[in-house]
Amino acid sequence: MKLTELFQKKTFVITGEVGPVKGCSRLNGGPPPDYIQEALNIKDHVHAVNVTDNQGAAMRLGALAASVLTKQFGLEPIFQITCRDRNRLAIQSDLLAACTLGIDNVLCLTGDHIKIGDHKSAKPVFDIDSVQMLKIAAGLNAGQDMMGNQLSQATNLALGAAANPNFEPLDLQIIKMEKKVAAGCEFFQTQPVYEPRKFEMFMKKVERLGVPVMFGMVVIKSPGMATFINENVTGITVPEAWTNQMAGVPKADYKKKATAMTIELLKEIAPMCQGIHFMPFGWSDIIPEVLDAIRPYFPQ
Amino acid sequence: MIGTTKKPLEEIFQAVDGYAKIAVVGCDGCAKVCMTGGLDQVHELAAQLKEQGKEITLEVSPERTCNIMHARNFLTPVKDQIAAADAVIVLGCGGAVQITRQTTEELGLTIPVKVGLDSVGHMDMVIPGVMAMEQCQECGQCILNETGGICPVTKCAKSLLNGPCGGSENGKCEVDPNRDCAWVLIYNRMAALGELERLQRYMAPKDYSKMSKPRVLYIKEGRCA
Repeated sequence: MKLTELFQKKTFVITGEVGPVKGCSRLNGGPPPDYIQEALNIKDHVHAVNVTDNQGAAMRLGALAASVLTKQFGLEPIFQITCRDRNRLAIQSDLLAACTLGIDNVLCLTGDHIKIGDHKSAKPVFDIDSVQMLKIAAGLNAGQDMMGNQLSQATNLALGAAANPNFEPLDLQIIKMEKKVAAGCEFFQTQPVYEPRKFEMFMKKVERLGVPVMFGMVVIKSPGMATFINENVTGITVPEAWTNQMAGVPKADYKKKATAMTIELLKEIAPMCQGIHFMPFGWSDIIPEVLDAIRPYFPQ
Repeated sequence: MIGTTKKPLEEIFQAVDGYAKIAVVGCDGCAKVCMTGGLDQVHELAAQLKEQGKEITLEVSPERTCNIMHARNFLTPVKDQIAAADAVIVLGCGGAVQITRQTTEELGLTIPVKVGLDSVGHMDMVIPGVMAMEQCQECGQCILNETGGICPVTKCAKSLLNGPCGGSENGKCEVDPNRDCAWVLIYNRMAALGELERLQRYMAPKDYSKMSKPRVLYIKEGRCA
């Protein structure tokens, strides 16, 4: 099911995230791999799950194969596809493949640079960028490849993109979002923001784009994780106040505290946007409790 | 300017292993500016090779060894010294090495021509004698008119044409926190020029056929193919 159908019905959309492992996932009659199992834990609470594409530029099971596997286990995948590892032929080919294999949603991303991954000597591709990919994908939906050649069958993919409300200068980020929308973007998922006022200001600026925005929520599991993100993950900043709140409780209570803080943040955030994208990093079990608590705050 | 760095001496010694007599050819163009292949570096390498027991037959540094005219003018009068060597080592860019090889072939000499430097890109000197920076990829389809005179193809680690990636933070690149995000530089420049609306234009994918190697420049016809 395409997420765009849910947005059209004014559904407040909830998504999770699955990170394929470094390894093959042939089932051989056994149980689902752990990353699928984590998604299955929240199956009844989310509309779809993102399947990341060599996340962090670390080589892993391909996102398309993992997306198909995710679908086989009854979850709706959002196939993340990056420009880092594919030229324009491969991107179009993979989008055709995705639709052929039953994928309905894609998230078109630039991709983390090779230099932050585990194959630092690889040749980065970046033949096209995320805006161009969206335009190309929209063309495939319209029945043409990027050279104007007719397809025997058009794709039918909902096209998503990423946005970063933390970006400075914010107006430059807005310009890029405008270009993404003009290229064919139908929904956004954002990087996490831990300051509601900052997200509010961002939403005021992007409201005129008329495209649903899903708030990205990375659950901070410990003060150490906050420090790690601030020092190693560009584009996300965990404020000191947030970290201090976590640091004020015993380690055994981190999960309880993180759940409470996430709920408080999302109570403020939910009314401003059209959905929430959870990136729980192993703590997907808190999502049901969080959703129960914030459901009254979903916009009508 | 073509930027060059010196190869490790061990690699050079390995390249000339088995050759007793060496002709050392530098380049008084870019390599001289990079302080890797001017006459001073030619003498320096010659001395190091002598310490390894090599006999040096020639120490010269033509002005721009990558130009066949200069290479011919400089090397033809010293043909005998080249012929006396078992190998030539060139302290120049990859182009200088290949033009030197072409010159030796034109002179009727069949002699190994080795390289003593690594070529590291088209570099612009931004701090004289201290730092040069890669700012142009010679992509054959210049877009500087649209980007405030700052090239995202070269200065953005991902060569993005339609704005920054999500990894940019505090105006710096996700690849190197000491490197400016090209798109923030472009934005600030366009804002200063009062031309931000130009950034809203969609930039189509580049035509990489214009970078298909090896390119040939037909000077009289003014075209590259």
